[in-house]
Amino acid sequence: MEPEVIKAELVLPTHLSFKRMQMYEKYPKGQARGRHWKHLKQILQAENFQNYPPDEPNYVNIESPPSMHPCKRICDLTGFEAPYFDPRTNLRYASADVFKLVRSLPNEYVQRYLALRNAAVVLK
Amino acid sequence: MPFISQFHRQSDYNYFSSTTPIVIDNGASYFRIGWAGETDPRVIFRNIVQRPRHKATGETVTIVGDHDPALLKYFDCTRSGPRSAFDSNVVYQFEIMEYILDFGFDRLGANGSQIDHPILITECVCNPVQSRCKMAELLFETYGVPSVAFGVDAAFSYKYNQRHGICDKDGLAICPGFTTTHVIPFIDGEPVYKGCCRTNIGGFHVTDYLKQLLSLKYPHHMARFTWEKVEDLKMEHCYIAPDYTSEARLFQKGTKEAEDKTRCWQLPWVPPPVEEPPSEEEIARKAAIKERQGQRLREMAEAKRSSRINELENQLRGMEFLLQQLEQVEEAEIPSFLKDTGYVSKQEIESSLVKVTLSLRKAKGEPKAEQAEVEEKSDSSMNEKYPLVNIPDNMLTPEQIKEKRRQLFLKTTSDGRQRAKQKRQEEELERERKNQLDEEKRLENPELYLEQMRVKYKELSEKVEQRKRLKANGNHSNGNNVPGGVGRGERLNAAQRERMRLLTTAAFDRGKGEDTFGAKDEDWQLYKLMSKDNDDDDDEGLDEDEVELAQISSRLQEIDPAFVPKLDVGPSQPAPEIPRFRPLTKEDFQILLGVERFRCPEILFHPNLVGIDQAGLDEMAGVSIRRLSTKDQDLEERLTSSILMTGGSCLYPGMSERLEAGIRMIRPCGSPIKVVRALDPILDAWRGASTYAAALQFPQQTFSRMDYYEKGEDWLRRYQFCYTL
Repeated sequence: MEPEVIKAELVLPTHLSFKRMQMYEKYPKGQARGRHWKHLKQILQAENFQNYPPDEPNYVNIESPPSMHPCKRICDLTGFEAPYFDPRTNLRYASADVFKLVRSLPNEYVQRYLALRNAAVVLK
Repeated sequence: MPFISQFHRQSDYNYFSSTTPIVIDNGASYFRIGWAGETDPRVIFRNIVQRPRHKATGETVTIVGDHDPALLKYFDCTRSGPRSAFDSNVVYQFEIMEYILDFGFDRLGANGSQIDHPILITECVCNPVQSRCKMAELLFETYGVPSVAFGVDAAFSYKYNQRHGICDKDGLAICPGFTTTHVIPFIDGEPVYKGCCRTNIGGFHVTDYLKQLLSLKYPHHMARFTWEKVEDLKMEHCYIAPDYTSEARLFQKGTKEAEDKTRCWQLPWVPPPVEEPPSEEEIARKAAIKERQGQRLREMAEAKRSSRINELENQLRGMEFLLQQLEQVEEAEIPSFLKDTGYVSKQEIESSLVKVTLSLRKAKGEPKAEQAEVEEKSDSSMNEKYPLVNIPDNMLTPEQIKEKRRQLFLKTTSDGRQRAKQKRQEEELERERKNQLDEEKRLENPELYLEQMRVKYKELSEKVEQRKRLKANGNHSNGNNVPGGVGRGERLNAAQRERMRLLTTAAFDRGKGEDTFGAKDEDWQLYKLMSKDNDDDDDEGLDEDEVELAQISSRLQEIDPAFVPKLDVGPSQPAPEIPRFRPLTKEDFQILLGVERFRCPEILFHPNLVGIDQAGLDEMAGVSIRRLSTKDQDLEERLTSSILMTGGSCLYPGMSERLEAGIRMIRPCGSPIKVVRALDPILDAWRGASTYAAALQFPQQTFSRMDYYEKGEDWLRRYQFCYTL
């Protein structure tokens, strides 16, 4: 290790005195580590919230409902107010100049703009 | 915002008794750890872990938190991005959590055989019991902690501010965090989770949005927009507009206000060294050098020519001398005489003499007129060689007739050659004349001429391109052409279809089972037919057009200073304008943040802008009050008159005004609304927790390992921290 790295104490030491079981014992090298951690969705599924009374607040209960306000429509490219919508690329645009830009975008950029709005078609 | 991590190793761990709790604020963005009762956490770092490989030794090491990027160059970080233990705001990756806790305790100075202090750790609202269990297990088993307590960070922050009089015991806590935003009502100092509300949008999404927008707007500088840099930009420049639409309109109109509000980030850029135009002396010097070189070359050529002339003359003189000698010698002795010199007969000497004279004349550079004369002379001499042609047949012998036929043949061919030459000369004259006319036309009205040429050029080039496109793509080309080549089946054009038809009929029309294609000569005519079909009708017209196009383009290049020939781009979209090459200027390296400044934080109020279909901040307050479902108008008024903003993402300028306006819209007219910001939105949660842990009744709120193992998971689910002590 380079001296300045040691001085900065960048790296976590492998043996810590206050631990009862060290990391290298818990996760021996070579074994697949961490693939058995459940993601949030799986945790929530395993919780079985439907078994408990719906009145009690739990992680899923307290989530906000969809918005009641009318959806704000802004131009995908510039951020101005956008009353218009391009049917071919599904992008919103604010004026004719922006429209020219929209039509001249390569497909990759169109998909990225749509992905910002979570409106891109994702093929899995 | 400056680099706020601090992780010096603390040295006073041993001074604290084992009843002093350690307080941990385990947030999705930062991890804060310190001692109870103090005002500031001792160690703060980003809650991420990297596991790169050391380049020299090859071992995989663990690096916790954010560090000086200069030191990271010793490690190969390509395969190890920063990883977080959180999924939304819930801890799910306990291996990473363990690394983080290791680091935290280590920097706090822990050095016993176990952590002997009670721990107060924060979690999210309504944490799933699995996550809680695993965390408790981790702390009890691996670290040997005697007792643990879980609390909600927003609640601690609220209580801390309540203690300092910022907000009342009834109120709302609005907490925009890193990945989520919560609104929690407080009644009598206790959070009421029934009325709690959570939207999955936070500072992380704002930074991500800004990063994507900038990358799309400035694709050349994409490498510059790292997540950390964009976060810095966001913290420095973003603000919340009081009304999004009117602010956007300001920018759309391009008013002076908008100009003022646009911030500019200048990337480092070095202008290319400007070449000075060569000075007069330089030019003169270079011209003199060129002149001298030219002179030298000319001299060399002269010398060569004169030496060649001398050589030829010598040869000539030698041969003439030889001839003279030959005349004096008798006939019989000629062969032996000539053996020495290398010539075989007199004729040979004469013919080589003639050749040498000719080359001498050429070397001396005599005018071509002589040559033409020579040619004509040869022609006329050849005419004399056809004496028999004009004599009618019946007067000649058979041999002479044969001779005559040969001479006739020769004559007709030479006649033909002459005619061709004449025609060529005439054509040249014609072309000269046309060019002359053209020049006159150009000189009298250059502008009009140029315009006409340009128009013709454009028309022709379009025609040519279209034909090429039709040929290559069939009839399926619209504006957004995907360059992919010819399709199959129905997309072949007429000529190709014809070809396929011919081939298939040829292949399948033969006798049963036997393939006798090619046995007869006529079969191969098939290919002729195919190629004729394919090429003939298109090519000729195309050639004409192409030739004319080439002519016009060369003409335009000569006379039009601004003309750039349209290169053969093949089957692709015609560019609207040919991009002219210009040197990169300072402006190309500037990143302008105009609309993005207030567009990005807007998503906290309108999550639909990024596709998350949930209520925004102002609406969430209404939802939260509704969920409480109290009929008590008074209580609602008390709630809205003490609204606290806490959490890292509430530091945007203009947020409180916007929030107030938003909540006013959904509350009945005239209800009191007061929005305040916490004293220190980032550290208040830890401070609140620290004050709690220092209180005397704190140990009653914790649970020990015994409790955990006896009472089990179910009890843990119902475990709640009581915030009023």
